[in-house]
Amino acid sequence: MPLSRRELIHCAGVTGIAALAAGIAIVPDGLWAAKEGSMGPLPDVPVGGLIRPPGALPEREFRSKCISCGTCVNVCHVMGYDAIALAGLSDLRNFGTPYIKDMRDFPCGLCMECPGACPTGALRKVEKEKVLMGMALIDFGLCFGWNGDVCLSCSKACPLGAKVFEFFYGEWGNQPYINESCVGCGLCVKYCPLGGSAIKVVKRERYRELRGPYLEDFRKLQSMQNEERYQVVYGSNLPEIMARGRLVEREYR
Amino acid sequence: MCSMVVSTVRGSRFRLSLVRRVLLLVVIGLFLLQFFKLKVLVGGLSGSIAVSFVKFLDVFAYLESLIASGDFTTDALLAVVPIAGIYLIFGRAFCGWICPMDFLYELVGRIRNPLRRIIILPPAVGYIIAVSLLLLSALLGAPLFTKYLSHLTNFFRLITGGVFLALDLPVEASVVFYSASVLVALLILEFFFPRLWCRVLCPVGKTYGLFNKASLLALRFEKAPCAGCSLCNQQCYMGVKIEENTDRPGLRDLNCIYCNRCAEGCATKGGLVSMKLRWWK
Repeated sequence: MPLSRRELIHCAGVTGIAALAAGIAIVPDGLWAAKEGSMGPLPDVPVGGLIRPPGALPEREFRSKCISCGTCVNVCHVMGYDAIALAGLSDLRNFGTPYIKDMRDFPCGLCMECPGACPTGALRKVEKEKVLMGMALIDFGLCFGWNGDVCLSCSKACPLGAKVFEFFYGEWGNQPYINESCVGCGLCVKYCPLGGSAIKVVKRERYRELRGPYLEDFRKLQSMQNEERYQVVYGSNLPEIMARGRLVEREYR
Repeated sequence: MCSMVVSTVRGSRFRLSLVRRVLLLVVIGLFLLQFFKLKVLVGGLSGSIAVSFVKFLDVFAYLESLIASGDFTTDALLAVVPIAGIYLIFGRAFCGWICPMDFLYELVGRIRNPLRRIIILPPAVGYIIAVSLLLLSALLGAPLFTKYLSHLTNFFRLITGGVFLALDLPVEASVVFYSASVLVALLILEFFFPRLWCRVLCPVGKTYGLFNKASLLALRFEKAPCAGCSLCNQQCYMGVKIEENTDRPGLRDLNCIYCNRCAEGCATKGGLVSMKLRWWK
């Protein structure tokens, strides 16, 4: 029986709404699934908030200015970095505001396009070197350079290079150290060859609290005597590094 | 330009409604180019940047952002000036010509629903809502409407999120889920209460409505005799009282979105009612 025009439109409408409802029902499946385990570097160190795109105003002002229009997200996509995502419902206050979601796979390339594109002024134009997205911390227990190797991958990936990286060459490898001119783009996080990366980027505010204990760790490792350091490297660090190494295949995309 | 279009159209079967839909498609199409890595129009209808040069910012979004942060920036002002300029010429034409909800609502309107009811509320209600949203934004320190409730923000968040989900790029699925829910809620609202959103609730439209009072584009009435058939009022889904005003030279109603349906519906076929760009009253 041929359908009349009105019936046809009716059917199309109902089908459309049903399809939308079905689509919504499917989405939540992937919603909570992709939570990473505690396999990252420095598992005890919280990031301390959302890592914002470069040039972001201080948190409070940023939240009050950003209208969630998505211009930065799309500019980042056009530039081919895909680093920025909008924050989800788990944090209602920050809902819809942009942040760097997945540094391990999609770090910020510091192309500095998003601050120039933001229509609200929540992101402001700054020089590359003066960006303060965060601060990269090396997990000395996982880093190849700190456990008998010469790796250099992080320093090669760094857009600011020698300005940020310091190396302490010694018996136990070419030990890298990231100094405070780091801007927190996360390129080193991605290019660290260790499965799950050995570098974590934390918020600047968080780093101010962490600075003391972190530097103490650094000095303690450097001043360790041969036998003691051997125990640390071969006793605990290398088995952990080997275990994470097996994750490499999964990690690289 | 517009009066020229209308005058060539007068009497023919050409429909300006079709032009409206083509323009909407073109605008959405320009926005979709960003997923093909072309920087023509990047962002969404709440805020965007054209060809890496001109920034656009929705007027109500600007007001919210300004009031919530209590901080004036030239960045935001430079972005809102082009939009304010466009709508100082075309008035509330945004709603009828650019807003994607206008088209979606038209589709919803075609589904038969015996429970559909038109709710009439005084125009002041919409402005009270808009002002309270602004005050709440100031109180909460965040652009409440634009960030959470806006149909424009959520429409483009849904598109971007959907594309990113499909391409397996970083995106929070809960954002896509939320935006889809808001849009579905708006469509359900439309299913039962036609254009309640556009006529009363939407603060974006209310803001552009204020532009109607000063815009170059306005409804004009010729001195041709009106038969009083009321076809124009029936065609207008924004509830503008057109027939009652035909004895005046023109009409600047806060709710007029320049869809041209009244002119097309008029028994005199554009002889009586038309949209015209004019410098004078």
